[in-house]
Amino acid sequence: MRGRTDQLHADASEHFYEWPAVKRTDYYWLRLVGTGLWFLVFGLVTFVLGFLVLPLIRLVTPDRARRRRRSRALLGAGMRFFLHGVSGLRFIEYEFIGREKLGRPGQLLVANHPTLIDVCFLLGFAPTATCIVKAGHFRNLITRGAVTGAGYIPNAPTEDMIHAAEAALRGGETLLMFPEGTRSVPGKPLVMQRGAANVAVRAARVLTPVFISCEPSTLSKNLPWYRIPRSRPKWTLRVGDDIDLEAYRDAPVPIASRRLHADLAGLFAGANTVPD
Amino acid sequence: MKSRQEIFDIVRRSLVDLFELEEPTVVPEARFDDDLEIDSIDAVDLVDHLSRIFERRVSPRDFRSVRTVNDLIDCIDRLQTQ
Repeated sequence: MRGRTDQLHADASEHFYEWPAVKRTDYYWLRLVGTGLWFLVFGLVTFVLGFLVLPLIRLVTPDRARRRRRSRALLGAGMRFFLHGVSGLRFIEYEFIGREKLGRPGQLLVANHPTLIDVCFLLGFAPTATCIVKAGHFRNLITRGAVTGAGYIPNAPTEDMIHAAEAALRGGETLLMFPEGTRSVPGKPLVMQRGAANVAVRAARVLTPVFISCEPSTLSKNLPWYRIPRSRPKWTLRVGDDIDLEAYRDAPVPIASRRLHADLAGLFAGANTVPD
Repeated sequence: MKSRQEIFDIVRRSLVDLFELEEPTVVPEARFDDDLEIDSIDAVDLVDHLSRIFERRVSPRDFRSVRTVNDLIDCIDRLQTQ
């Protein structure tokens, strides 16, 4: 009997540990249901755009460059709509500092990647941009239509990614890359791949870092979408100063890209983007 | 047409210039991944560089089976006779 009581106590304290006595605020349950519904809407809209609307655009726009511009504008509008929705309904808050610096020709944007919806902010507010996207999205039934219609670039195989990114920048497009290649894990230091630095040295006219943070942490790699924070999360996006690439270009690409990679890693590590 | 020795000299020069490798480490038996620490991104840079020198459009796919410097020389030798 006594053993059982102890067991109960143990359970209770574990329970207490996992759910600390921070009160769920900002209409927690409404935010939970609302977040779920919004993701459902987001998935449905992505699917309908990819399989119905973008093919229609394709039909009436034979010119490839124009077709991509139109498709991206539409997807960008969709992402802005999603963001206005979730922030308008007070599920999230966000602040975007310096977004007028996005979307210049030949500009490479590199951003850290703390949450699932980072791309919505960047492509929503720089809708002409193309983006390096996980190759799996080109096979996923929901996202396939959208990413092919917009002419985004799959991240594998490596040689195709680098050459496609180079061609996009040389052609005057804006390109978005998340150098980590995937979402970061809160509390762990950022691990960036060298691909972004390589592409920058090869072909970017302008390199611009974007620092993203989300407080309290949510929609991160280690958490499912329904583990929403107790209080309303706030995204802060800050567009940094352009990085001078000419300083790197006196060396061959592999050496220059290693230098730039090290500098970028230091810049992001020092920018306080690692969530607690 | 270049001899195998000429190809080797070009490859070694390229590896030294691009990756700041020490010339004596670039021997025919050297493995790219373990001995020379050339990763997949470096491989793209190397192939782009060599295709400019040999004035041939090649894809890294042509080099898929390449593991050592010697493999690479074989591969270039085959490509230049095609």
